[in-house]
Amino acid sequence: MSYFCEKFKAIRISSTVGMMQYSGKWLAKLNTLLSGLVLLSLLSTSQLHAQDGEKLFKANCSSCHKVDQNMTGPALKGVQERWAGKEELLYLWIKNPNAAIETGDSYVKNLYNEWFPKGGLMPGQAVNDEEITAILDYVKNWEPPVREVADTSTPDAVPVERGLDTTWLFIIVFILLIMIFSLLSVRSSLNKLQNSMRAAEGLEIVEEMSFAEKAKIFLWQNKVYVSLAGIFVVVYFVVSGYEALMGIGVYQGYTPEQPIAFNHTLHAGENGVACVYCHHSALKSKHAGIPSANICMNCHKGINQGRSEAGTAEIMKIYEAVGWDMENQKYTGEEKPIQWVKVHNLPDHAYFNHAQHYVVGEIECQECHGQIQEEYTVAGQYAPLTMGWCINCHNETEVKMEGNGYYDEIHERLKKGGKEELKQYLEDGTITARELGGWECAKCHY
Amino acid sequence: MANSKKYWVGLEELDETKEFQEAQQNEFAPEGKSVDQFLDETDLDKTSTNRRDFLKFLGFSVTAATVAACETPVIHSIPYVNKPEQITPGLPTFYASTYFDGVDYGSVIVRTREGRPIFMRGNSEHGLNRGVNARINSSILSLYDSTRLQGPKIAGEKTTWGEIDQKLGAEISKIAENGGQVRFLSGTNISPSTAAVVERFSTSLGEGVFEEVTYDPISFSSIRKANEASFGSAVIPDYNFYDAKVIASLGADFMNSWLLDTEYTSRYVDRRKPSGEWMNKHYQVESRMSLTGSNADVRMPILPSQEGAFAVALHNEVAKLTSGSRLSGTSSEGLPMEGITALAKDLADNRGECLVISGSNDPDIQIVVNSINAMLGNYGSTIHTNKEVFLNQGSEESVQQLIKDMKAGKVDALIIGSGINPAYSLPNADEFVDAMSKVKVLVSFSGSEDETASRCTYLCPDSNYLESWNDLKPKTGHYALVQPTINRLFDTRQFQDSFLKWSGEEMSYHDFIRGQWSLMHGQTAEAPILFEEFWYHTVRNGTVSIEETTVLWEGEFSYEAAQRAASRLKSTSAQGYEVELYTKVGIGDGRHATNPWLQELPDPVSKVTWDNYIAMNPGDLEAEGFNMHLSQEKPASLVTLTVDGKELTLPVIPQPGQKKGSVSVALGYGRGQNNENIGRAAYRTKQYGGYETDADGKMIPIGKNVFPLVTLKGGSSIYKTFGATITDTGETFPIASTQIHHTLMGRDSVVKETTLSVYKNSPKEAYNPPHQLAAHEDGKNIKKDVEEFSLWEEHPVANVGHKWGASIDLSTCIGCGACVTACHMENNVPVVGKDEIRRGRDMHWLRIDRYYSSDMSLEKGAEQGMGIIETYGEMEIPEYDNPSTVHMPMMCQHCNHAPCETVCPVAATTHSNEGLNQMTYNRCIGTRYCANNCPYKVRRFNWFNYKAYDKFAEVNPSQDAMARMVLNPDVTVRSRGVMEKCSMCVQRIQAGKLEAKMKGVPLRDGMIT
Repeated sequence: MSYFCEKFKAIRISSTVGMMQYSGKWLAKLNTLLSGLVLLSLLSTSQLHAQDGEKLFKANCSSCHKVDQNMTGPALKGVQERWAGKEELLYLWIKNPNAAIETGDSYVKNLYNEWFPKGGLMPGQAVNDEEITAILDYVKNWEPPVREVADTSTPDAVPVERGLDTTWLFIIVFILLIMIFSLLSVRSSLNKLQNSMRAAEGLEIVEEMSFAEKAKIFLWQNKVYVSLAGIFVVVYFVVSGYEALMGIGVYQGYTPEQPIAFNHTLHAGENGVACVYCHHSALKSKHAGIPSANICMNCHKGINQGRSEAGTAEIMKIYEAVGWDMENQKYTGEEKPIQWVKVHNLPDHAYFNHAQHYVVGEIECQECHGQIQEEYTVAGQYAPLTMGWCINCHNETEVKMEGNGYYDEIHERLKKGGKEELKQYLEDGTITARELGGWECAKCHY
Repeated sequence: MANSKKYWVGLEELDETKEFQEAQQNEFAPEGKSVDQFLDETDLDKTSTNRRDFLKFLGFSVTAATVAACETPVIHSIPYVNKPEQITPGLPTFYASTYFDGVDYGSVIVRTREGRPIFMRGNSEHGLNRGVNARINSSILSLYDSTRLQGPKIAGEKTTWGEIDQKLGAEISKIAENGGQVRFLSGTNISPSTAAVVERFSTSLGEGVFEEVTYDPISFSSIRKANEASFGSAVIPDYNFYDAKVIASLGADFMNSWLLDTEYTSRYVDRRKPSGEWMNKHYQVESRMSLTGSNADVRMPILPSQEGAFAVALHNEVAKLTSGSRLSGTSSEGLPMEGITALAKDLADNRGECLVISGSNDPDIQIVVNSINAMLGNYGSTIHTNKEVFLNQGSEESVQQLIKDMKAGKVDALIIGSGINPAYSLPNADEFVDAMSKVKVLVSFSGSEDETASRCTYLCPDSNYLESWNDLKPKTGHYALVQPTINRLFDTRQFQDSFLKWSGEEMSYHDFIRGQWSLMHGQTAEAPILFEEFWYHTVRNGTVSIEETTVLWEGEFSYEAAQRAASRLKSTSAQGYEVELYTKVGIGDGRHATNPWLQELPDPVSKVTWDNYIAMNPGDLEAEGFNMHLSQEKPASLVTLTVDGKELTLPVIPQPGQKKGSVSVALGYGRGQNNENIGRAAYRTKQYGGYETDADGKMIPIGKNVFPLVTLKGGSSIYKTFGATITDTGETFPIASTQIHHTLMGRDSVVKETTLSVYKNSPKEAYNPPHQLAAHEDGKNIKKDVEEFSLWEEHPVANVGHKWGASIDLSTCIGCGACVTACHMENNVPVVGKDEIRRGRDMHWLRIDRYYSSDMSLEKGAEQGMGIIETYGEMEIPEYDNPSTVHMPMMCQHCNHAPCETVCPVAATTHSNEGLNQMTYNRCIGTRYCANNCPYKVRRFNWFNYKAYDKFAEVNPSQDAMARMVLNPDVTVRSRGVMEKCSMCVQRIQAGKLEAKMKGVPLRDGMIT
């Protein structure tokens, strides 16, 4: 239950603000926080190390630069070699690019001409020379991160349907069948042998009883067990038939293949991105919605590599959809909408509203969608989505009245209500959705 | 229906061979064996497929089909690539816009879902109007009309805009160079920016080439002409219904079709509230029973020919009381003089606070009416002399002159604007069509290939107003914006954009409007300083009011003009019936004839749907021997109306209140005479689907076009004609009416009426007594309040939360029917077509019952010594000549202890703790017990699969892929076999509650919209 809780709260407060704005503010806050931390660490010690260089790089440079790849700005690997002999100018460039341009240096000019059209002029960075040195050291000593071997296989793979491994079962059944056959043939050989021996002795040949006769005799002799087995079989078929019929139209566990192998475990689990960051319409609307690709680009404009080749390929699919030209860091305008497969399909006559449940009812996403941050890669139907399942929850779930002004008056009246039924409601201490009308037809059907 | 051709399946049938005749006896021909023969055969068990095998196969295939059907359907879901900021899937977005089609004007709020407009209501906050009429709110369905032109065409061939611009540009510039003439025939234009665009186009062609001709299908030019005669200025002043204590309307249907009807109705009903300072008194003088007349306090039926005489008589009565000068020239014979005297007294008692208006298009009558208003001192108070109404600028003379010029070959290019259809709606349409052939270049902006556009070479379809930008100025000081609410559905282009293009401008019309508005902004003192702020504010609100006055006329009122007009007003005394032509609430001047919602909307007065008819006084009808009592089994008589050598055959219906000796017929029917592709709902359909066709295989339009009966008198269209004969054809014609019972028969517990003094001075019980039922107690008959009869216990949490109810102010309701189409829109109510309505299977969740008063009452019957059954029989018959009328909106009352809930065997209809009577479609098994038990008869049964059954393919919008876009995604589209009814828009209630819960505030009035 406490999963993501704080983050959700924070987002809820700003739910009326557009998500884009929200993310901007959030990042800004993060930035101030980080720079504050950096400042603190600077105060405590003037000696800067490579670790500080990493921090400084991430705080100041990483939104536009990568070490080994061009992004909004050029890759920084080898920056010292490129600026060899002009260290002072480099420092000036970082702190005040305009001043550096004014010097009229040809390298700076070329740099400006090449990169200005792509990403604009780099803003002057509030770093001192010492910090720049630390950053440059970090860039110099940077090694590509070593990927864990396990990463290549699991996180980005398309989900596989899980089931019982039946291979062993087949082998055992096969061996048993062979044994039965060999025993039967041994027996018939023995019979033949016996008959031929009897024939040799001139005795009457024992006619083998037909299988049906034998079965009849066997069944008659074991009638108690047979009837018990018969009852068992009938009950089994009735029960399983009933269950099969009740299962019609229930697609629990439906996990269709999706066009992009998006990884919830990685995003929502490891990286802790709040569900409603992407599924933000759950805060306002009946639909939680499949996030539009521009939301992906909030992060993936920068993050263009997965943990594996496969992961990178999936990211490239986003780029293709939104028409992002990675080379030139700009949108081409050629958009190809992503055709996802809808997982949760309610019948048309049932109305469900995410905002009602998530914002007002304060139900965690996981209650209906499972531990998606741990278990599923793209998406699967966790809950049966049957009416029984819905109303069961309505029967048990308490209405979150505290702190919601809408319920103040209703709560007051419930407390003051003189009716016996109302007293009972309050005796068990909870007011469930059902007790306030959550089982009424027109709550979901209209 | 009448199909004289004979079809045969093959030559055998044609030749009637012996084999064929034998085979015809045998229904299952191919095998040559009947089922009995087959089963009788003794060697049946020897066949390879025996009965058991057959059953096995059957069982197997059924199971296989079932299992196959259980496969999860793959539904794709495609999110935005780049989500627009203002759209959240699942939430509505609202836009303020304005409807104006040349006739109707109204500010609207359009509700869109995922980019599709799905609902529309009046912009009461910022517009002139409060609500909008049914024609305006149903226009949302016309947007999704798949028969709209889907792109430009040249001579019937699809083309591109580039080609149009090139070819047409070349033609027009050639004409301009050679000193030719270009004419633009358009409907009334009230858009300042459009006027500027047209001006620019005109300038680009050079001096003396271009001329604009304004044409109104229904003309009000007489008002302008009358003001020119009376004051020297051809304008329409702004009428102020809000301050008029007495309103006398001489045939002006101001609740339906007269000038700015949406505004006037709103201001009129503002003064119909008993809680207000005062209530207005409304006199209506008319020959037919109009919507306005049915709401009048005093209604005086007169013949159409007496209008002039009435106006003069009223003038003279008023003159007596105000010491004005009398007019002479007409006799007051046959006029209701008593009523005129009373009306004149009421008017004179409220000098300067009353209003006299006329719906006639005879300038002379309007001049006399002007004179009455002048005597009463209404100019400057209830008629603004500093504000002008810009509607109805059309001039018949210039249109007729255009036709003459066209015939004479003087016009080289004719551009026909959108929203007008002169080849259909001109009285001399044939002449116009002939003249069209003399014009070299014919361009049409019409959105569909209608009667006029189908005769044009260049089709440049204008976008629907919901896809367009525009600005409008209906009257002095009031500006409105039209903004797009959806991207263009088809390859259409606003005609203003076309004009800009053809004038060589690269600017879009949107930018052009902004340019114009920035000029206006500069001249407006009270506007916000920044233009952007001013602009966005106006786009948001839809309108902006600016302190602006104009001087309508300098001159003094000319009584001489009135004297001259009166002398011209001679009462016509032709033998036979007088015919009045009018426009219906639903389809107006015919432009809405293709809208199924409006065709199915019962006429507010006659309650007839899907048809045009001759309305006649029941007394006359009886005397003529036509069918009186129409119902499902009793069709109307089909009669032929002959006037001025023109004949038309229409059914005739009894209409109480229609003046004896006169009949009325609606304009706007008979669209698509040549089977133009104007819309699916414009033609008559057969009982089981498909169009009815005539002998030539052509589709038959609904009703008859009566525009040819309009006469021109001195350059004014006169919508009445005299000396008609009506003869029975001997045939009958079924009429689909939603109400065939016309009186209340003493059931006063539903409709409650009282007088203002009783309402103000007596306790509630005097005018709203509690419902009581008879009961027995201690061996006595007593009456008990209905609450005491309850079978059920109250819901445990009832009255803790909300308790919903909808109250309709019946003193405000005018019965216009806009709510009926709004309900269609909001609740996905299917359209069922004429045949089903005739069978009483209309699906309207909300209807408006209209009841006439009856001469008979229980008391009167007892006085006259009539038996009770006889009395009730008499009570069923409404007053023929001048009944009083009540309009009563009727939908599910959500009864506290609803009788329908008690009888449902499967609890598909239940009560919520918030007082709603809930209908659960997925639970309903269709016993229809509930409908039987409903005292208000508001439950509707789904007899058919309206969204797929062929029978409704032509009429029901949800059978059209495009029109389906109008469906409200929050409301289930019901399937066959279930009951449905008004849900009190529970989807809106739930949405409003959710909003309050999310904000954490108590739900207050106004939060549910």
